[in-house]
Amino acid sequence: MRINAGLLSAELLKVRKRWLVYILLAVLIGGAAVQIWLLGYVSWRTDDVEYRADALRSFVLPYALPALLETGQSWGSVIVGILISSAVATEYSWGTVRQAVLRGQTRAEYLTVKLLGLTLISTAMLLLTLAAGILFSLMATSIAGLPITFDAPGGPNAFEAIIMVLRTGYCILPYALMAFCLTVVGRSTALGVAGTLMFVFGEAIIMGILLGIGGVWADIAAFLPAHNVNAIMAANRIGYFNSPAMRDIGLSASELPDPWVAALLIGVYCVGLLALAYAVFQKRDMTAGAGAS
Amino acid sequence: MTSVQSTEVVLRTVGLAKNYGRFSAVKDLALEVPRGRVYGFLGPNGAGKSTTIAMVLGLIAPTEGHVEVFGLDTREHLAEALYRTGAILEGQAYYPLLSAYDNLRVWAAINGNVTMQRIDEVLELVGLGGRKNDKVNTFSQGMKQRLGLAGALLHDPELLVLDEPTNGLDPAGIREFRELIRQLAAAGKTVFVSSHLLGEVQLMCDDVGIVKNGLLITQGSVADMLRQGEALEMRVTDATRAIEVLQAIDWVRGVTPSEGHLVVEAPLERAAELSKALADNQVYLSELRPRDSSLEDFFLEVTGEDAD
Repeated sequence: MRINAGLLSAELLKVRKRWLVYILLAVLIGGAAVQIWLLGYVSWRTDDVEYRADALRSFVLPYALPALLETGQSWGSVIVGILISSAVATEYSWGTVRQAVLRGQTRAEYLTVKLLGLTLISTAMLLLTLAAGILFSLMATSIAGLPITFDAPGGPNAFEAIIMVLRTGYCILPYALMAFCLTVVGRSTALGVAGTLMFVFGEAIIMGILLGIGGVWADIAAFLPAHNVNAIMAANRIGYFNSPAMRDIGLSASELPDPWVAALLIGVYCVGLLALAYAVFQKRDMTAGAGAS
Repeated sequence: MTSVQSTEVVLRTVGLAKNYGRFSAVKDLALEVPRGRVYGFLGPNGAGKSTTIAMVLGLIAPTEGHVEVFGLDTREHLAEALYRTGAILEGQAYYPLLSAYDNLRVWAAINGNVTMQRIDEVLELVGLGGRKNDKVNTFSQGMKQRLGLAGALLHDPELLVLDEPTNGLDPAGIREFRELIRQLAAAGKTVFVSSHLLGEVQLMCDDVGIVKNGLLITQGSVADMLRQGEALEMRVTDATRAIEVLQAIDWVRGVTPSEGHLVVEAPLERAAELSKALADNQVYLSELRPRDSSLEDFFLEVTGEDAD
């Protein structure tokens, strides 16, 4: 398989010239600002004692880090899904996918380069958002007159912080690949975005229902990606079990699968989605007018 | 007229067929495109031309048969074959938000071994050098078509496969395009071009293949096809006697009276022999001229359809 810096550079050129990338980045950074300033700092300044501790954890480091990552995982999955769906489907509508393939690039190479390019762009967007979130946190902490320190009980060291970020990225992966797979198969931005959104939100509802019924149904829920993503993301919250995010999912750590098992199951989902996308793309007739919406 | 005379066939289809359910878009197609020639691929709308080109380029999988490019079976050596091939497909393919230069940068990365200098060269060649930094979504249809040609020529391919490449070009652009294709052929490139502009094909192509309903009706050199339609128009002193005399000559393919004159299907170079034969039988010519013969006439005759 021929994958080189020139091909990646060309892929990045195509994506970074699109306004959508910058709009989505602005949405992500806007989300981080809402979390730190509105849900954190502004809420903390209110006199409502019940929520002051939660609000403090939303904007003061090190507690703000897992909170930012938690939000980044859920909204990041949606944003990355939109980016991937658009970038893949427009190649059909512009006819450029046929141009790439008839130049001798194999179909597997084409998909791989696209996937790598989008991974790089998405990673840069998410890291920029995290950096902005941390900057907002430092600013809000300073304005609040609170000490800026990572030295808190159960707080992560630098290595653990990196692992937390990697865990979050891994938990975005199944949704990003779902958008990729749906768009490759359906050749449509609308299908990729709508399908991913329906899955993200529909899965949460279905999981809630299955867990509510209990018994064997709850066991089925354990195989859903969201349940396993929760398990992995919960590992980010070790030492932070009083965080609002932990209570939101209505589970204690003991009810979630082992993070390694969860990671394995998520990996199976990812491989399955990739295999489907590659298999369909490999066999597909690329006729004129097989456009995308 | 089933096989093109050539020492080396660059593009060959062997029993190529494509079915969509019960509908056969292409049936048992056996094309041969010789090296260094411009081969016109003609047929009415829906004849299977674009489907054939898509199969040649590996975009569509044949139901039966296979394609050989440079002697390589594309079922096993598609990438190798395509690295030596440039193509324009019907319907444009470009990144509208990128400049002409950046579009070619993207294609250059896929082709590999293309220098930035080469990108400038092909942009100049197609007349887009002055607009290279403009976004393609500001281009006219003809400029986009030129960009497509620049993309096809980017990696200096040995074979060009062009599907309706003059769509969107104005008459001057079509003429420039024709001259460019002739230059490329003179430089040893092989060109396989589908077009519905029969007059252009006649001027541009050395060989022609005509398909109808997915079947190859005929292929051969343009000169041979035009020769088949060769005829002389004559006015004579005694038409009835002239018909008798001419029909007795074995190399005269047909004699048809038409609006006060006779149309004699015979080689133009034997006009003097015809004149002598008539004079020997006391029939004298008052007018003799070659009838215009065109690829369009031949196309209409063999397909039984309108040119478009």
